[in-house]
Amino acid sequence: MYLEIKNLSVDLGEFHLKNVNLNLKEGEYLVLIGPTGSGKSVLLETIIGFYKPIKGTIKLKNKIINDIPPEDRGISIVYQDTILFPNMDVYDNIAYGAQKKFSKKEVAKKINEIAKKMKIDNILHRNIDTLSGGEAQRTSLARALIVEPKMILMDEPFSALDVATQSKLTSLIKNVCKEYKTTCLHVTHNFNDVWNLADRVGIMKDGNIHQLGNTSEVFSRPESNFVADFVGVQNIFEGKITEISPEVAKIKIGDKTTINSSDINCINKINKKYKEIFNEKNEYINKEIKVLIAIRPENIIFSNEKFESSARNQMKGKITEIIESGPTVLVNVAIEDHIFKGLLTKSSADILSVKKNKEVYISFKSLNVNIISDHEKFNHATIN
Amino acid sequence: MRSKFELMFIGITIAITLIFFVVIGSMFLIPTFDGFINALFSEEMVFAISLTLFTSLISATLIMICCIPMAYTLARYEFPLKRLFKIIIDLPMAFPEIVVGIALLMFLGSNGIGNYLEILGIELVFNTTGIIIAQFFVAFPFAVKVLYSTFNYIDPRYEFVSRSLGYSEIATFFNVTLPLAKKGLFASGIIAIARCIGTFASVLFVGGGILMKTETLAVSMYLNLSTGDIDMSITAGILLVIISFIAIAVMEKYAKESYSSSF
Repeated sequence: MYLEIKNLSVDLGEFHLKNVNLNLKEGEYLVLIGPTGSGKSVLLETIIGFYKPIKGTIKLKNKIINDIPPEDRGISIVYQDTILFPNMDVYDNIAYGAQKKFSKKEVAKKINEIAKKMKIDNILHRNIDTLSGGEAQRTSLARALIVEPKMILMDEPFSALDVATQSKLTSLIKNVCKEYKTTCLHVTHNFNDVWNLADRVGIMKDGNIHQLGNTSEVFSRPESNFVADFVGVQNIFEGKITEISPEVAKIKIGDKTTINSSDINCINKINKKYKEIFNEKNEYINKEIKVLIAIRPENIIFSNEKFESSARNQMKGKITEIIESGPTVLVNVAIEDHIFKGLLTKSSADILSVKKNKEVYISFKSLNVNIISDHEKFNHATIN
Repeated sequence: MRSKFELMFIGITIAITLIFFVVIGSMFLIPTFDGFINALFSEEMVFAISLTLFTSLISATLIMICCIPMAYTLARYEFPLKRLFKIIIDLPMAFPEIVVGIALLMFLGSNGIGNYLEILGIELVFNTTGIIIAQFFVAFPFAVKVLYSTFNYIDPRYEFVSRSLGYSEIATFFNVTLPLAKKGLFASGIIAIARCIGTFASVLFVGGGILMKTETLAVSMYLNLSTGDIDMSITAGILLVIISFIAIAVMEKYAKESYSSSF
């Protein structure tokens, strides 16, 4: 592994990290997302060497760097508010780190090169306080990249920018990081950064990484209630497993409502964890295992009539609420005591003529029903 | 159109400023022009001006040398009893200057370490060194206060970035922190000089207030007032007002933001 963090704990009083584990491959772009105060910035500033861990190790290129001062770690950082030196112009800001590493001639050549790539070659002699948000952030990125760091840490680099500038800068960062083969660790609270940049994503809360994995995996298979909630899985229900086979688990969430899940990973875990759930004839005998299930709103399909489909879950309900949000419509459907939330485009909502109190069918694939495995009740379920 | 509230507050501000201006300005009307010129160029006044400027420059330089690491430490680092350190350093600002004078005299004189120093041939009271020590103790807290605010005002992430770009802690301090603190350093220096020039009671006690030996401008004002030489006394006072006015005006112009925040 290129960067390997093991059981890292930091205590700064107000902010802390506890037992953080994190790996990054060379050239990988990892995005850590989490609510404000989750310890994202503290993690970056600990990796770079500004805070001393009370426990754990940080390994960069197979070398433990805990006791190496920041100036010798070869890690650059880009902040949300750029932190460009206000007493220097754009050129001097970019040259600041480079002149420590390269000759004057090389510095000039490199600045020329990187300025063109970052599209700041026409503002090199401008004062920092005359730059727009995008120009300042491109300068900050150039200053970080020019020293050819082993890796770059980005602390919410787009948060202070308008949407158009964010989008331009996102594609610029993506291209530049690929070109320079830079390993990047980016922290943010903006989901767009995850979709646009991340090779992998980590979800952080209370100084800990709750889940780390491929973007699609984390968003579709959250491993905890918090992650599910944070990544926007709005349909979370508690139920009991009534039947289980290696491929499908039937989960009863109401008197008449049973949901099929093909969350194979979790079904395997359940099979391993509860050996007593089958009798000698391999029949499922335990009816009391409680689980949480999660379904993303965008995976729910609406129809006015029942229809044949590969989706193993189809049920009828009544629309209780319609919430319009930009180009999408969130439709709440009541089935027994549960509210299912589904997402439609505005045009689909018009075609289906969704309105309050109308009866509709909702369908979703069993593959899209995620069983949350670390649910407290699930972990402590008793075997009768 | 200004509101009644705004007009009332502006009126109070103008009235108070006018009272200050009239009281201080009235001093300028007391001596005759000839009396002022004669006093200004008298041997005693020239000596007092030279001694005041000489001691103040040395004291202010010493203050700045000690003040920079101390203000930075208080702004950046955490250590046990830090709050107590701050209170102790601030103390001389809170109590009358005469207390600093007496404390220094007791400590440096024959009741304190004076006898031991005398054996080593060192005399720290009733001479120029005593004046510098007194000025240092009185002005130091003010200079630290301004510089502490300045360092506190500088985002530590500038230093983080500098270090991540390959600069050591010391190199970062000289390349980034000090240039960013330029205005605060300037303000701190000005306030140190202004306080040193204006120091009276402690200089009188530790320096001894000896005519033409340890006679600074403030001491000269007192000595001449007690002997009834009003022209000399008022001239010294006018010089102190002019010097203070220039110092504060310069500081206001160049170092507003560093001066405004506090401990």
